[in-house]
This record gives sequence, C-alpha cells and structure tokens, in this order.
Amino acid sequence: MINEEPISILRFISNYFDIIRELFITQKEERVIRRETFEIICSKYSAEGIKKTLFKYKIVKPLQDDYELRDVYFNLIEFILFEFRPLLPDEIEKYGVSIQELFRKIREGINSDKNILLDRIAALSEEVKKFSEAVDKNKIRLLSETRDLKANVKRIGYREKIQKASHWTEHYILPLNNILNVNHSESITNKLFDISEFANQQRLILEDETIRLQFEKLHRQLIQTNDDIRSNHKVFINELIPLIDRIRTESLVITGWIEFLKRPYKTVPPRLFKTDRITPISNKFYLNTKEYFENFQVVEDFYIEQEEGQEVRWIFNKSYYKSKLSSSLPVENFFVWCRDSLELEGDITNEKLLALTTLLFEEDIQITESNEFDEIEIQTQSSSFIVPKIQIVKNGI
Amino acid sequence: MEFENPKYHQQIVEDLMNGKFILSKEIHFEDVKENRDFYEKFFRHSFGYEFIFKPDYAYIISSETNENLSRDICIFIAILCYELDKAGINFLDKIEFGDFSLEEIDKYFENSSFVDLIKGNNSIKDYDSRRKLIRTMTTKNITEKNSEDRFSFTPVYKVFIDFAKELAESSKESETINQGE
Repeated sequence: MINEEPISILRFISNYFDIIRELFITQKEERVIRRETFEIICSKYSAEGIKKTLFKYKIVKPLQDDYELRDVYFNLIEFILFEFRPLLPDEIEKYGVSIQELFRKIREGINSDKNILLDRIAALSEEVKKFSEAVDKNKIRLLSETRDLKANVKRIGYREKIQKASHWTEHYILPLNNILNVNHSESITNKLFDISEFANQQRLILEDETIRLQFEKLHRQLIQTNDDIRSNHKVFINELIPLIDRIRTESLVITGWIEFLKRPYKTVPPRLFKTDRITPISNKFYLNTKEYFENFQVVEDFYIEQEEGQEVRWIFNKSYYKSKLSSSLPVENFFVWCRDSLELEGDITNEKLLALTTLLFEEDIQITESNEFDEIEIQTQSSSFIVPKIQIVKNGI
Repeated sequence: MEFENPKYHQQIVEDLMNGKFILSKEIHFEDVKENRDFYEKFFRHSFGYEFIFKPDYAYIISSETNENLSRDICIFIAILCYELDKAGINFLDKIEFGDFSLEEIDKYFENSSFVDLIKGNNSIKDYDSRRKLIRTMTTKNITEKNSEDRFSFTPVYKVFIDFAKELAESSKESETINQGE
C-alpha cells in the first residue's frame, strides 16, 4: 500500500515527466530498463534524489538486476504519448477466444446460479472493452506507421518502402481486418453481433430484474462497440489496406502536411495579416467604444454627504438677547417675550428657554413683583412650563 | 504640394489593410505591380508592415499575425490534400485547376482518419463551421465562390503549399542530421 496522497504522486509524475518519459521510451525499446541506463537517465537530469521516490511511489520496480515501469504507469504514459506498441493479431484474437467462451457459459447457465451469471456478464463486458481498446490502439499505431511511410521523412528507398508496407499489410493490417470484418464468419465482430442479439432478448424476457439490468448495460455497450468497430474498419478499408498502392507516389507537399498534422498546434503556420477593423455589428463594438470614450472622460472628485445636514448647535449669545431685551423694555411678560423671540428664530427648546431665563439675574434688569395667580404656559418641543408673569422695566425707572 | 498616388490607391490600401490578397486578375493588380517599390515603402514607413509581391498575388503581413485563422486554413488544406491523395487524385492539379462542391468536401472530412483533429477544431468540426471557414477564405481571396455550392482555390493556395514544402524539407534535413549523429 502506498501511504502517500494520490495528488502527491501525480504532482511527482508531472514534475519529473521528462525522466519518466525517457524511462518509458527505454523500456519500450529494450523491454527492460538496464541498471546502468537507469542511473544515466537519473543523473542526466541531476535528479539522483528522485530514485528513492520512484520506488516509494511504486512507479518503478526492480527486475532482478534491472528495472521496469509498473504496468499501470507504463500504460498511462503510453496512452498520454499516444505511443502504442503495435499488437500482433494473435494478441487481439485472444479476446475473441475469451469472449466466445464466456458467452457460451452465460448462454448455458442462464437459468443457473444468479451470482455466477452476473460475474460472467461483468467479465464479458470487461473483455469486450479490452478488445475494443486494443483495436483502437492498433489502428492509431498502424495509421501513424503508414503515414510515416507515406511521408518518408527518412528518405528510405522505394524497395525498402514497399517491403515495409508489405510487412505491415501482411502481418498486421490484413489479419486485423479479418478480425473486424463483419462478413467474415469467424470474425470477432460477428461474435459480438450474436452476443448483442442475445443480450437484447434477455434484457426483455428475463424475470430477475438485476440480471435484466446487466444485460441491458451489456447490450448498450455492444451497440457502442459495434459502432466503434465499424468506423475503425472503415479506416482499414480506405486507408490501411491500400497502403502499398498509396506509397507508390511520393510528394513533398504530402510529406509536409503529414508532418504538420502530427503537431498542428505546435507548428508556426504562414503569417496572415491580422485586421483591427471592427464593424458596428461586431460583438466587440460596444465594449471597445465604451473603453474608448472612457479614456477621454473627465472624472471629477466627489464626496459622500449625509442626506440631512448636521444640526448647528445653538449657542446662547447673552449680549445679543440682553440688548434685544433692553430695546424691548418695558416688557409686560418676560416669558411671553422669551417665547416670541425664540419663535421668530426657530423651534423653542428647553435649553433655549432656560438660557434666556438667566437674563432675569442680570444686574441692570429690574423685575417687578408679580401677581401669584397670574400664570401662563409656555410650550417647548418636549415640555410644558407653567411660569409666573414677570414684568421688566429699565433699571432705575 | 500635391500627393501623387497610383490610380487605385484607395482600393489597394483598403483591400490589403482588410487582410485581403490582391489577385493578378483584379483590375488594381496592375497598379500594384507597377508601383511595387512605392507600396513596399508605403506600408513599411506608414505602418511597419511588410508588403509581399508575387507574380499571381500581393498581400501584407505585420508582426501581429492572424495565427489561428492561418492554422485552421492549413489544417483544412492539409486534410483535403491528404484525402485527395488517398483517393488517388492528383491533389495539386485538383487544387490548382479544379473546383470543389461543398458536398464533396463534407465527404472527405467525414471519412477522414484525422477524426480527432477534425472534431477538436471549431473551424472544421462540422458542416456549418467548414462553410464559415470557406466564406472567410473567400473574403480574403484565398478561395472564390463559383456557385451556391461550389468553390475553387485562387493562386493564393501556393502560400500554404509552399509552407508544406518548407516543412517537409526541414523535417527531412533534421532527420538526416539525426541519422548522421
């Protein structure tokens, strides 16, 4: 068991992918990674320290004195790089045997033990998947080989080219074509059609729902597989089988295009003029115009103001009110005068009224005696004052 | 001071600045041909663009290039050449002298073994996108419309064919160097 976070392993593969790729290529060519080669590759990338991690993450395993990438990593790198080993038709035919055998047992044991039947359906599904993947990988590899032969970048002679094409055709393309050919009675494709038909019937007639569902899944998988095989077979008929005829002619232009199509997004194409013109119906027009205008827009400073201006605090200006009082003398009723004066300037508050009352204590103010029954009421914003009538006359008068 | 300029100056500048190739059969091509040096200097000094004149066409390029369009056109022509060759047709003759129906193009692309590349490219992935690409090529004078559903390539195809040849040469050279090592 690996006691590491899966993401750490993936990050390690990503960081040291160059080394892992080189180990993969070595193993692909020599089937094992010799101890000396392993040391050279690790030291070439100044990554002596990663050797331990390669073992810790179980990416590389020792094989007596040498090493090899574990299958799961080998297959992963093979898939990422699209560098598939061409499979011999015999390697693919073995799936036909296992598929046929499992199908026979499923058919014969359709009414026997339910669990073993379910296991066999799952196993059959797995074998079909492997077969389909093997065909797909082989097609990719054969296309790559034959395109290289057509491009002939290595400039091999005509005779050698035909020999190679014959080799591919005889040992790989034609036998694989027989496996895929639906008109060939012994082809695996034909067997898959039989199984698909059987699964289709069983998914409708069986009583057990679990088994019915499994046949339903198998049937759907086989429909997809048959479609894939049909499209792969088309490639065999149109492109791979006529290989020998196709490589008779050679063209520099086709060589260039084949090289380009290998890495179309990594090759710099011919330069074409890029126009900046934008029409009013372009979807960029609105934003570009907006951006243009915004460049010339004068932005003024702005302030955030509270909606209600701050209340100016009332300050008792004694001399002002004193002189006002003096000019109004004699005053019949001091508090009425206070009320009238304050009313003219705004609201009457307790604070204002009491502040004005302090005028009564001024030295030059003379208060006359008041009648105790003569009272008035002064209303402020928050209170009501019952105050006596006070007369004021000028000092000394 | 009077500014003396070729007769079709406005049309020439407009076409080239719109990324269009001017073809030898067009009326203003003669003007371009007679004033090659003028246009070479005009585009270099006015905009810093490179003016390219070939016996069959003329165009301009700048440091900022329309790489995506160019790449999509290359993929389109590359697959077309490959499929024509696969069908045993002399692809260079067909591109230079022949014309194509849209239906024929669809057939080549739908039966191509470059299916992953086709499906992954927005300019050639299906019927509509391929028509849009052909329309774009027509606005640039790379192809021309012969009828509602037929088109042919103009001599501008040579830009792309030359590119393929150069690529083949450099691949063969680097392969020779690798073998030598």
